[in-house]
Amino acid sequence: MQRILNALLQFRNPILYFFLLGLSIAFSFNQSPFHQYTIEKYGFYFSTKIYEIKDGLSHYFNLKKVNQQLLEENKQLKSRELASPLIPLYPEALEKPKRFPFKVKKANVLKNSFNNKRNFLTLDMGSKQGIQPEMGVISKNGIVGVVHSVTPNYSNVISLLHQDLKINVRTNKSPAFGSLVWSGKNPTEFLIEDVVSNANISVGDTIVTGGMSSYFPLGIPVGKITKLEKIQGSGYYSIEASLLNDLSQVYYVYILENIDFQELQSLKKKLPQ
Amino acid sequence: MKSFPLVSVVSFVVLVLAQVMVFNHLHVFKTINPIIYLLFFVFYRFESNQTLLIALSFLLGFSIDLLSQSGGAHTIATLTIGFIRPFIIRYAFGNTMETPQSYFSDNRILNKLIYLVLLVLLHQLLYFTIVFYSIDALYHIVKNTLLTSIISLILMGITISFYPTKK
Repeated sequence: MQRILNALLQFRNPILYFFLLGLSIAFSFNQSPFHQYTIEKYGFYFSTKIYEIKDGLSHYFNLKKVNQQLLEENKQLKSRELASPLIPLYPEALEKPKRFPFKVKKANVLKNSFNNKRNFLTLDMGSKQGIQPEMGVISKNGIVGVVHSVTPNYSNVISLLHQDLKINVRTNKSPAFGSLVWSGKNPTEFLIEDVVSNANISVGDTIVTGGMSSYFPLGIPVGKITKLEKIQGSGYYSIEASLLNDLSQVYYVYILENIDFQELQSLKKKLPQ
Repeated sequence: MKSFPLVSVVSFVVLVLAQVMVFNHLHVFKTINPIIYLLFFVFYRFESNQTLLIALSFLLGFSIDLLSQSGGAHTIATLTIGFIRPFIIRYAFGNTMETPQSYFSDNRILNKLIYLVLLVLLHQLLYFTIVFYSIDALYHIVKNTLLTSIISLILMGITISFYPTKK
C-alpha cells in the first residue's frame, strides 16, 4: 500500500495532467457537436474494424452451415424454376400452364467416377429419404444421371458417362428428338443418335431434355451441338455435342421425384406387348 | 515548500480578466485574437510546485473557456503547456545549474526569447489543432498559429518589458 502511494505521489504530475486532460476533453467534446461527431466517427471506425475481424472469423467457421442453408435454398429455387410456366420451352400452343409432376430433393455426392466406360455416382440419400430407382438426377448446370439402386441411406446413380444410358433430348428450336449417348472418350463429348435428317437444327443449338421419359421434365439444358453431319443414305444426322455440365466436378445434386411415376408404369403395363 | 507567491494569484486574475475583457475583443487583421494569458507561465516561478502549476493551468484555461464561451480548446492547450513547461524551461535555458529561479532572474535575452516562442507556438499549435480538428484544415491551423503567435509575442514582449529584470 505504501509503495502504491509512493508511486502515485511520484507520478502525481502526469496522473494529474492526464486526469485533467480527460476532463477537459470530455468537457469540450460535450459542448461542441462537431468534436462529438468527429470522436464518434473515429470510435465508429475502430469498432467496425474490430467487428469486421470478428465477423470474418465467425463467418469462416460458419461456412459449412451456410453452405447447407444455401443448398436448401437452391433446392427450393430449382424446384420453382423447373415448375415455372415462364420457361419458354413448354409448348405455347397448350396455353394453360402445364402441370409439373416433379418434386426436388437435394443430396451430396459421396463418390463419383468418370474414368470407366460405365460410371456410377454414390449419393448420401437413400430409400429412407424417399429416393427410389429410376429417378432423374440433375445438378446446377444440367443433368447428371438416373438413380439405379437404393439402400436405406445411400443410392447409386448411373452417370451420364455410361455407355448404356440413353437420355431423350431435343434442341430448344426444333421439336425433333433423339437420344444422348456418351461417346466414351471425354467427359464432355457426347453423341446424339436417331435425329431424322429433315429436322431443322444447326451447330450451336442448345440441347435440352425432351420430356418423353419419366426421369426428366422437358427443357433442362444439357449441352450444345458442336458438330453436325448428315449420314449418306440413312436419313439420320450424326451429331456430336458437348455437355454444359462437367461431370467430374459434381459435388451436390438434385434428385427429381416424379409423382406420377406409378401411374406411368401402370399405363405402360396396359400397352399390348 | 515555499509560500504561495502572491504575484501568481494576482497575475492569474489580472491575466484572465485582461484576456477576456480586452484581448478577446481585439481583432488584429480582423481575424487574429492575440493571447496574453500565457504570461502566467512567465510569472509563475520556475522552481515552484509543478503539481500546483498543472492544477492552476487547468483552472486558467477553464476560466478563459468559460468566460469567452469557447469549447475546451483553451483548457486542453493550457493544461498541456503547464504539464510540459519543465521541458520547455530545460530546452530554453539549458539542463544545468544555470536554470534560473524565475523568468525575471535571468538576463540572457536569447534564452528568454526561445522560452517565450516555444511557449506561445506550442500553445497556439495545440489550440488551433483542437479548434479545427481536421487534417484538411492543416493550412488554416498553420496560418493561424503563426500569425497569432507573432502578434501575441509582440504584445507579451511589451507587457514583460514593464517588469524590471532582477539580478
